[in-house]
Amino acid sequence: MLDNINNWYIVAQVLGVITIGFEFASYQIKDKTKYFLVTGIGSFFWMAMFVSIGFATGMSTQLSLILAATYSTIRNLVFFRIFSKNTPESKEAGLIFLLAMIVVGVGAGVVTVLNAPTEVRWLHIIGLITALGFVIGQYLPGVHYVRITVIFYAFIVLLTQTPLNILYGDFRWNIMGILIEVAKISSVIVFYIRYSSEPQRPQLQFAKP
Amino acid sequence: MFQIISDGSCDFSNEEVRKYEIDIVPFYITFDQSTYLKEGIDITKDSYFNRLLTEKNLFPKTSQPNPQDYIDIYTPHLKEGKDIVSLTISSKISGSYNSAVIAAEMLKDDFPDRNIAVIDSESACIGQGLILKEMVKMRNAGLSLDKTVELTGKVLKTTRLYFTLDTLEYLKKGGRIGPTTALVGGILGLRPILQFLNGEVSQIDNVRGKKKALELMEEAAVEALRNEKDNVCVSVGHILSEQDAAGFKMGLETELGIKVNEPIVEVGATIGTHAGPGAFAFSYCKKYDSLT
Repeated sequence: MLDNINNWYIVAQVLGVITIGFEFASYQIKDKTKYFLVTGIGSFFWMAMFVSIGFATGMSTQLSLILAATYSTIRNLVFFRIFSKNTPESKEAGLIFLLAMIVVGVGAGVVTVLNAPTEVRWLHIIGLITALGFVIGQYLPGVHYVRITVIFYAFIVLLTQTPLNILYGDFRWNIMGILIEVAKISSVIVFYIRYSSEPQRPQLQFAKP
Repeated sequence: MFQIISDGSCDFSNEEVRKYEIDIVPFYITFDQSTYLKEGIDITKDSYFNRLLTEKNLFPKTSQPNPQDYIDIYTPHLKEGKDIVSLTISSKISGSYNSAVIAAEMLKDDFPDRNIAVIDSESACIGQGLILKEMVKMRNAGLSLDKTVELTGKVLKTTRLYFTLDTLEYLKKGGRIGPTTALVGGILGLRPILQFLNGEVSQIDNVRGKKKALELMEEAAVEALRNEKDNVCVSVGHILSEQDAAGFKMGLETELGIKVNEPIVEVGATIGTHAGPGAFAFSYCKKYDSLT
């Protein structure tokens, strides 16, 4: 039984490394369906990482992050279902669910903004906008929107999130939160380096007559 | 000699019907589910789409010709001693093929010596129009009915039809997408690119903005036809967006170094009811003589 803080901390690091792997891999994938599956799995491990840290430090410190990561996991897997089934019914049901989640998420975000100290309120507002932009970017077609919006989102998460404050002393610092965001940004950079060297094929292909 | 007949989905103008010596069995349009108007006879394409544009809450529906409509068109030709080759819109999206087959069966007893061949085009509008023009060429070249049917079967397998829409409103009205999908897609400016594949409509891409959709379609068309340009017939269609169609046609001619002789087609209500004003369509098929 892992009832020792240090053990939970180690588990969190392992889950963090797994998350980095999935998040990095996801932004190398052009196919939307596969992207959502891989990033959805990554989000799951991300959520599990916060749960582990919660066991180490007390759940109350992690609750908002666990909720945010759970939200991401569900959202990515709903997107995966929408894009993989690709029927009018699945799209409609998935979109209604996502819109409801966005409304709840924006509502919670507005409450957070209102409760935040005035001097950092702007950061929370930008966080809310980039998060919303990222969800829209995920839904938009093509390979670029999602990658552009995730860069902004990741930067803001780096600024607003508190992964460095999660644990107590230097030796317990969980830098994974930061590394995960850095992994997303670097994965997008690697993708565009690869993309620029690939022979450019038409995005749309018609069948030969 | 045989008579070629198509349902109204081919979107031929009255001039083309006369020029190609074919007959059309029109679809029905209704605005109120009580009065049914024959497309091209009781209501023109222009007046149909203008009503669609000006009356916002209008929800027209189309319905297929019934067997009696086919019988009415077939019978005079059979009486003249002609055989018939009848082309219909894809049987997977309309019952027109079924009506034609029933009509042919019903007429068998009255005209036992005559032959009626009903062909499912597995396509619609300008795709069906291209197949029809190839059939006319075969007839004019003196090919037999059996040979025409055989070659038409080959031509329709090479027929591709792609289209994009300017609004998701009509897909929503027709129940093909849900209201949330239409709302989100409308806000984000999404334009689906659709294809006819094996007689059914499916989405092959989704892009932001009509301009982008047209650019991608032109690029894809050039790529698909680059090595086939001498062996294909091409057709461009639209619904109240002639400029887009003309621009696309010109781009295609420049890129491929060909001359698209087919006039730009104004797509009719059969497809237009579901696509709505601003839709653009592009189709091609192999010439029959390149398949022999």
